Amino acid sequence: MMIETSLETYWEVYSFLMREAELLDERREREWLESCITEDVEYLMPVRENRERSEGAGFSDESFYFQETHGSLELRVRRLETEYAWAEDPPSRTRHFVTNVRVAEGDEDGEVAVKSNLLLYRSRGSEPTADILSAERRDVLRKQEDGWRLRKREILLDHSVVMTHNLSVFF
Amino acid sequence: MIEETRAQETYEVLREAKRALDEESKLLAKVYNEPAIFEMEAQKIFQKTWIFLAHESEIPWPGDYVLRRIIDDSCIVARDEDGQIHVLFNMCRHRGMQLCRSDAGNASHFRCPYHGYTYKNTGKLNGVPFQKEAYGPEGLDKDEWAMTPAPRVEIYEGMIFASLDPGVQPLEEHIGDMGWYLDFYLKKSPAGMEVVGPPQRWVMHADWKLASENFIGDGYHTQSTHMSTIKAGIMRVKSPAYLKDGVQILAGSHGCLFMGFKPGSYFNYPQSIVDTMKESLNGAQVALIEENSVLPLNATIFPNMSLLHSSMSIEPGGRSVPYVTLRVWQPMGPGKMEVWSWCLVEKDAPEDFKRASNRSYLSTFGASGTLEQDDAENWSGTTRVAAGAMSGSHYLNYSAGAGQVDPIPEDEWAGPGTAYPKNYIDFAQRHFWQTYFDHLMA
Repeated sequence: MMIETSLETYWEVYSFLMREAELLDERREREWLESCITEDVEYLMPVRENRERSEGAGFSDESFYFQETHGSLELRVRRLETEYAWAEDPPSRTRHFVTNVRVAEGDEDGEVAVKSNLLLYRSRGSEPTADILSAERRDVLRKQEDGWRLRKREILLDHSVVMTHNLSVFF
Repeated sequence: MIEETRAQETYEVLREAKRALDEESKLLAKVYNEPAIFEMEAQKIFQKTWIFLAHESEIPWPGDYVLRRIIDDSCIVARDEDGQIHVLFNMCRHRGMQLCRSDAGNASHFRCPYHGYTYKNTGKLNGVPFQKEAYGPEGLDKDEWAMTPAPRVEIYEGMIFASLDPGVQPLEEHIGDMGWYLDFYLKKSPAGMEVVGPPQRWVMHADWKLASENFIGDGYHTQSTHMSTIKAGIMRVKSPAYLKDGVQILAGSHGCLFMGFKPGSYFNYPQSIVDTMKESLNGAQVALIEENSVLPLNATIFPNMSLLHSSMSIEPGGRSVPYVTLRVWQPMGPGKMEVWSWCLVEKDAPEDFKRASNRSYLSTFGASGTLEQDDAENWSGTTRVAAGAMSGSHYLNYSAGAGQVDPIPEDEWAGPGTAYPKNYIDFAQRHFWQTYFDHLMA
């Protein structure tokens, strides 16, 4: 997939991805949910197995680390807003590095299909080592009256064993 | 000499730790992160007892296989063309190359990349390239050079276990009285259970025993560790006080914790599963559920397999949806484990329930689960601070209920083993540690 849309659309999509990463890295999850996500969002991170080349990339269509709707993302954000979400309090220091952005026309009017590479750096406490998670994201963005929003995200990990003790941050 | 002294010192530390647990209900913190103790665990527990490897439904068809481990021993769990299950040490008999290098698949043979030895999925040696040139006109004795099977393999209600000790007691005896309680997880339908896809796997810098002892009976942590999920409306209880009632079970080397549900609600299982549950369980089991409105929540099969039966809300204001998760706390070294986590559902459950149940599970347990995230934070924290010198003389309180709570009289509790009529007690946790020390000191 190459850049198949107008430069203007590409630039809007790119700006959306940058803004989203900023919100997540600044722990503004509520703002992310309310300003970046559609009501009918599908937010998926499938389990990946190490499989032989002839069997494809190894992503499961049954097992997921995330299989979220707007409602379940809302519950996750609500939980972070309590005083008791120990996994993120003190919070992880994260940095979403979003690169290799490719944009094509979507299947529906007003939608685009976006691929990007994500390197998520996560540092917690005073640990001398940090966790790094690598993934491709396949998104569908929809243009609403107030701008682009995430309609679907598949997070395709480059890991068959997740090398961090929990997935308490968004991708 | 240094090795011997070190082993003797470790033994002395453990003997004193066992005494402190038995006599004073306290645990030496060092056991959570100490290389010498980990070595003993590997030898005296993981090479001696039954270890869960896979569920039969992961390999339903002839040729299906999955790759599993007992600490560092890689094993292929394969179903052959006749439907028989084999557990085979994943090492070629020629130069020792790892034969199978994918997590799962379907293959009638395993071919070594190194020199091309080929084995059937029964373990039988089938092909040796240029055999006559290499080994003479008679070739190799193919029976002698078959793959090495795990010394013992047995299956309990679809759960495939192996043991590295040929003299281990039968699996049925190892499960023992706990089988009566496992039925509540595994026999709610005569059709049995199946996994929903491959397991989640993730690495935690946390000791495996923290997870095992939490799952055997720790109802106490819920009101603190998981408070965020009560506040957010994920765990649908009116107040944390609701959680204080329960029944803790000690059965064989294992244990579990019963919790109540609103009479008639059965964790919100669909009516079809409530019906099959009543057919599939025996009269005493059904009576226990009906009369007390309880089901077992968490359970641990010694040493490192746990089950959880729960019911949580997926959407704001939504009804709780029940699920069962099976997990393995796989040690990777002192203070480090890989967690393997499956969702199990009744094979004949309605398809929409299967999907909802899996979503309820992964929203709350597993790597991203809103409850398990916080367990991971706690277990990593304990393990981190147990690494230093002070944990060698730092004792932890395991006394809840000791000398205060009596077991439920046998004629008032239908199940086997010992039942204690409370939730916030440490009987099952002390039982886990007593079993643990008994193995290490044997």
